[in-house]
Amino acid sequence: MSVTDIFRVGMCIVYEGNTYIVVAAQFVNPGKGAAFTRTKIKNLKTGLTKEVTIKSGDTAELADVQHRKCQFLYGDGTMYNFMDNENFEQFALEGESIGDKKRFLLDGTQCHALYIDNIPVSIELPPKMDFKVTTAPPRSKGNTATGDSKEVTIETGATVKVPAFIEEGMMVKVNTDDGSYVSKA
Amino acid sequence: MLFDKKIAGKRKFYLDKIRSFFDAAGFLEVETPLMALTVDLNPNLTPFETKLLDPSGKTTPMYLHPSPEFNMKKLMGAGFGNIYTLCKVFRNGEIGGGRHNPEFTMLEWYRQDADYRDMMDDTENLIRFVVGADEVKYQGRTIGLEKPWPRKSVHELFIEHTGIDLLKNKDYSTLAKTAQDRGFKTSACKTWDDIFYLIFLNEIEPKLGLDSPVFVYDYPATQSALALVKKDNPFWCERFELYIAGQELCNAFSELLDAKEQRKRFVEDQEMRKKMGKTVFEIDEELLAGLNLVKHPYGGNALGVDRLLMVIMDAAKIEDVLLFPASKMINP
Repeated sequence: MSVTDIFRVGMCIVYEGNTYIVVAAQFVNPGKGAAFTRTKIKNLKTGLTKEVTIKSGDTAELADVQHRKCQFLYGDGTMYNFMDNENFEQFALEGESIGDKKRFLLDGTQCHALYIDNIPVSIELPPKMDFKVTTAPPRSKGNTATGDSKEVTIETGATVKVPAFIEEGMMVKVNTDDGSYVSKA
Repeated sequence: MLFDKKIAGKRKFYLDKIRSFFDAAGFLEVETPLMALTVDLNPNLTPFETKLLDPSGKTTPMYLHPSPEFNMKKLMGAGFGNIYTLCKVFRNGEIGGGRHNPEFTMLEWYRQDADYRDMMDDTENLIRFVVGADEVKYQGRTIGLEKPWPRKSVHELFIEHTGIDLLKNKDYSTLAKTAQDRGFKTSACKTWDDIFYLIFLNEIEPKLGLDSPVFVYDYPATQSALALVKKDNPFWCERFELYIAGQELCNAFSELLDAKEQRKRFVEDQEMRKKMGKTVFEIDEELLAGLNLVKHPYGGNALGVDRLLMVIMDAAKIEDVLLFPASKMINP
């Protein structure tokens, strides 16, 4: 099993005997003293998260995770159903295991499923995805100057902050990590 | 990239307020070079390195400053009195996680005839003035800003949150044992300070400043940097940090004005940088000569303006208060 001394979001590690996915990682450099990484890790079996601050240079075992192509079928708010692209087997994940990514899922969305010991535990989306804007507040008169931003709703129902010139029906490219607007698609 | 004009408008508004606070208090705003021949020797900082080119093609190594402190102190030596600066500082390697941008805005001020307690008063008054309210809502919490803000010593916080008496854990092996008993892995900790921070960051820092800002003061003297060691107990030094919502906002000292002691600390830092394989900068002789000329005690404080704006603008990430965050530039 390989070890890592760098902790990045999305990485799966073994910590105190359990498998966790790193859901947040923040570099901390106290005034005097070496650097630390403050992480938020989620137990892949129980879904419980905890915060751990790790000293630079400290290591953790990398969990043995398989990535397989899958597509999103449908969700009912609590459970999200997917299908493995190779063997067509269907599986369901709790909303909790998908986290913020569920706001970018559309029926048919292609993504990767993460498996540990052949059990699907979470998914990964492409880092950037294109979505159609379904509702946008009209551009107010006298506000022709760009610069002001506004919130629009995209086809998945998620809201995204975009520049003023984006209108209903346009396609936008969104960063699926933090939900921020990238560009017009 | 989304350029949000509201961010620009708010930054302008609050930066103006910071300036008017200090202008009204009779502080002089000064500009110091962002690019310098020598910079802070703190072993944990990694400055951006560049080269100055003269017309003949001769080059001189230069560095983007990680802090305006050295040059501000030269102005103290020149008798400038109360001064402040609002400038960009640069720290390489500090990116990601929503709390760092390698280029950020620093507010640094020095008050004559003052110590770190006076700087706590200044900090409290400044932030209350800039926010302009008795409370601020941050990420679903209400943080009360009514005076006085709690002031807690490092010693007191360790006892309150962990039961550890640092005065009984003054050496590496004792503190390592104490930490291991609490379930910490100390193998990657090379120094006493590393273990100190392992405990502090895990058990204390996340709980600081949740309901009101809190001043954390009297750090171990091993972390004194450019601060005065306490006369009544040399284990501690006169340094404080302000925490709001678990986040450190500033770092302040009763300023060390003893050039001999400062040189000793610089030499130690140089040795540490060498050991770590980092660029070793020259000791700033002009700074040490300037310290000898300072006739009054001084308090100084360095405050991360973007982090203050995060609190005021209720932003979860530093990227949300910057027009051009570096993380978006390298990964659009």
